[in-house]
Amino acid sequence: MPGVETKPVEDLGHRVDDAISVGEDLEFQERWWKFENAVWMFFALLLVLDLLGVFGRGWAAKSEASSGDGAVQLKYERIERTMTPSEMQVSFGPGAAVDGKYKLYVSGSVVQELGNQRIAPQPETSAVGEGGITYTFPALGQPAVVSFSLEPASPGVYHFSLGVPGGTMMTRRVVVVP
Amino acid sequence: MASVFRAIFGYLFLILMVRVVGRRPGKQITPFEFILIFFLGGLTLTGIVGDEVSLTSAFCQIVAIACCHYGIVWLRTKSPRTARLFDGTPLVLLEQGQWRTRTMEQMRMQESDLMAMVRDQGMKTIGDVGAAVLERNGEISLIEKEK
Repeated sequence: MPGVETKPVEDLGHRVDDAISVGEDLEFQERWWKFENAVWMFFALLLVLDLLGVFGRGWAAKSEASSGDGAVQLKYERIERTMTPSEMQVSFGPGAAVDGKYKLYVSGSVVQELGNQRIAPQPETSAVGEGGITYTFPALGQPAVVSFSLEPASPGVYHFSLGVPGGTMMTRRVVVVP
Repeated sequence: MASVFRAIFGYLFLILMVRVVGRRPGKQITPFEFILIFFLGGLTLTGIVGDEVSLTSAFCQIVAIACCHYGIVWLRTKSPRTARLFDGTPLVLLEQGQWRTRTMEQMRMQESDLMAMVRDQGMKTIGDVGAAVLERNGEISLIEKEK
């Protein structure tokens, strides 16, 4: 047949009962089974790490910190997940109130990179400047806790700072996994 | 743009998962395997779609998967090594009256799985089977023993 491309038919390899050509490649298959076993071990390791919270939402992800002057204590998740809600709690120390008010400065990254959705309780005032926001809350007594609902939009390594204006600022790092 | 990469990652990850979880004969998908298929698909979908529910995003993701799939199919036809990597090789499960026990064990198959195929193909006993081969597409080919 002129113009039609052809090539000779080749036997694919292993034959069964000396009759059927199967094309079995046990050498490759043995290597694949070894790879499969390695993958299963890797999956098991991933699961253990996940249960421990290494990828967020668990024991290893939670962290606490305190400013050097003791004005604020912080509970947050150092490992977050993209588009997944989490809570950051800031507790004011007994000496943090000035003129019956608590003031809290948070860097802009809390709103932008870490995706702050809302603050509870609602601040009395919010002032923008110095690369962040300063919130004012009426102080009634102890304990005084402010919660930030975070929901990071994209993965990355982000830093944020917070503290009472005029006091010691603390800077922390948050890893947001995809 | 990130949604396209998420879709491609999801596609390749599912290929790996299905390849690693194991090849089962297509006609013998049990309710457990149905659950597995739907669950894997559903769970992957939530991560791939994320909060991008626009038609543009869906369109771009579908096109990305189509291109990815075409690329893999093209590679499979051009390179026997790639074809072997994605589809595996046919595996003999039984020949000359002997079970290939290691193959059966590694493929997580039981003798009863094969018996179902024997009955399905109108044979009465396993003794009628000369050879059984687990094909790359997951089907089991049975070759009747010569009488």
